[in-house]
Amino acid sequence: MDLGLQGKRAIIVGAARGIGMAVAETLAREGCDLAVTARSEDGVKDAVASLKRYGTSVVGKAVNVKKADDYRAWLDWALDQLGGCDVLIPLSSAGGGMGSEKYWSNAFEVDVMGPVRAVEAVIPAMAEQKSGAIVLVATTSAGEAMGGPQPYNAMKASLVTWGKQLALFHGKDGIRVNIVSPGPVEFEGGNWDMIKGTMEKFYQAQLRQQPTGRLGTPEEVARCIAFLASPAASWCNGSHLVVDGGFTNRTHF
Amino acid sequence: MDVKRHIDVIRVNPQDWPDGTPAWKAETPELGHEVIPAGRYTSHDFMKLEWERIWTKVWLLGGRSDDLGEPGDYICTEIGKESVLIVRQHDGSVRAFPNVCLHRGNKLRPEGRGNVQNFRCMYHHWTYGLDGRIERIPDLDTFPQGGPPGMRMKLYPCEEWGGFVWFSLNPDVEPLSDYLDPMQQHIAPYHAERMAWVRDITVEWDCNWKTSVDAFNETYHVQGIHPQLQWYLDDVNVQIDCYGRHNRYLIPFATVSPRVALPSAIPPAIHEIMVKAGMDPADYEGRVSDIRRDVQLFKREHGPAQGKDYSELNDDQLTDDYHYMIFPNVSLNVHSDDIMMFRQRPHATDPDKMYYDIWMFELVPQGQPWPERPKHKRFKHGDRSIGQVLDQDAFNLPTVQKGMYSDAFPGLWIGDQELRIRHFHKVIDDHVYPHGKRPGDL
Repeated sequence: MDLGLQGKRAIIVGAARGIGMAVAETLAREGCDLAVTARSEDGVKDAVASLKRYGTSVVGKAVNVKKADDYRAWLDWALDQLGGCDVLIPLSSAGGGMGSEKYWSNAFEVDVMGPVRAVEAVIPAMAEQKSGAIVLVATTSAGEAMGGPQPYNAMKASLVTWGKQLALFHGKDGIRVNIVSPGPVEFEGGNWDMIKGTMEKFYQAQLRQQPTGRLGTPEEVARCIAFLASPAASWCNGSHLVVDGGFTNRTHF
Repeated sequence: MDVKRHIDVIRVNPQDWPDGTPAWKAETPELGHEVIPAGRYTSHDFMKLEWERIWTKVWLLGGRSDDLGEPGDYICTEIGKESVLIVRQHDGSVRAFPNVCLHRGNKLRPEGRGNVQNFRCMYHHWTYGLDGRIERIPDLDTFPQGGPPGMRMKLYPCEEWGGFVWFSLNPDVEPLSDYLDPMQQHIAPYHAERMAWVRDITVEWDCNWKTSVDAFNETYHVQGIHPQLQWYLDDVNVQIDCYGRHNRYLIPFATVSPRVALPSAIPPAIHEIMVKAGMDPADYEGRVSDIRRDVQLFKREHGPAQGKDYSELNDDQLTDDYHYMIFPNVSLNVHSDDIMMFRQRPHATDPDKMYYDIWMFELVPQGQPWPERPKHKRFKHGDRSIGQVLDQDAFNLPTVQKGMYSDAFPGLWIGDQELRIRHFHKVIDDHVYPHGKRPGDL
């Protein structure tokens, strides 16, 4: 199956590590030009260098999503560099944490307003060309308890609602919006890698809850995101795809 | 080394801190690459040599000065077959003498602490003053030979330094200050006397005392038995320094080991360091690799307002583990806000057993009440948890000790990361074989 991503222009926010990096890599391999960002300058530099090996145009600059003006400037720069945008995948996250009110504002600024500002920046261009695909990335922790009542879980949940309603609202503009909720994903330098080292019992308990006895990889999630972002998924709009190896207990009717 | 990343650790410039703990890297001694014979850990003959030439010759850590607050306060501590009373005198000084009644050999007091007017033997009521003088022998007139010579206990050398009290079984021992040199300049800036007991535990471990000392003298084992600490400290960029008979290493804390990938989330143990320092990790905007330096700067700025005087400590000391070994048996992790130390004592007769004393102290901020001293607890190897990290340390020791008996195991195959183990055994040699090692010596 040809995904039809060849020559598409994609903006990826949070592309230096983990799922974001894997998405960037998948899209580059499929022939997309990319504008990527993350907070770490070294991380972006390394990501751009690595992504260029697939032969498409790849640009990147670091930005802190929490700094709204810088972030808007980056988004304008990315649109300018790519000459438009066909695919937007904003997945930077402030991560988990409990015990300080600050975790709420962090999650709001990064996990919610990160995607919101990116979507608002690209919608005019996508609407004008009457095509575009946006994939928001939530989490299985939005639907099932994980790690306590964390702002991260609740804030990510809002993306599922907002994403569906964006899809309804912008269908007329030829813009599709879908949501992917990954289950626990393990990669070097990721949270689950650290949990494996620092809280081994908890990690093993998670593995026992996984039907396949392992956690996911960034690539397994990235392929699903890439599919939803591609013209091959033309009839997917407002979908919420749980990608968790069967981890969650509930049935997704 | 098996690392995933290269890290340039920010360290203080030793010249900037001339009066504090020396941060200089000492010249690495040339100690060879020989196997350290396993027999040193199992031989009764070697154990006897250690007794004659180390334990009865050097200065030994007896206890904490703050346990001897009032005249008559005493600490009764044991080393090998000897039991020693360390007693606060009416004039404020300390004295140490054998905990044995000169009449029939009974112990005057059980191991532990207390306060007395005098020491009265529970057998025939011979009574000794705080200074070790015999105050009363019931029916003295029935001893035609009179009382024991001088009518007193012999005194052991006993001195205080740095909030601790030290004694020696050797009447001719050098002054304590000469013996400890240069540890005083290293450790004094931490002001152990401003810290209060938080933990006082003795565990009877199933291994030789040196097996335990070795266990804390290298960081190579972190990747083996403490995987979780790789998200807490840098076990690769460790500075090792050997000084005469003592040694140390400096381990960067509040950082992530180059053996693992750098996470973007703050590791739980580093999170705790930040909270303890008064920072809000949720508010932290820097990278995980910046945390160590930022904790240092934060503590430097906010320490005084928290009643914590860090003025004599360099910046590294505000986060890192300066880990000392005072020969022969004291391992100290000194930190700006706490000290975790171990005293490792040989069993009186069995080379396969030892006593592992865990002493922990925490800085009492100025203006805060001095906390109540925890009671001493005592148990056997593995009976109770002593905390995740120390349980991990303890886990292998009995099997290490058993392996020392194997004909297939000539001895310890020591690498550079374990230089302090080699140095420790070299200092043992200096004591046990003062005229040099001969072929066949362990």
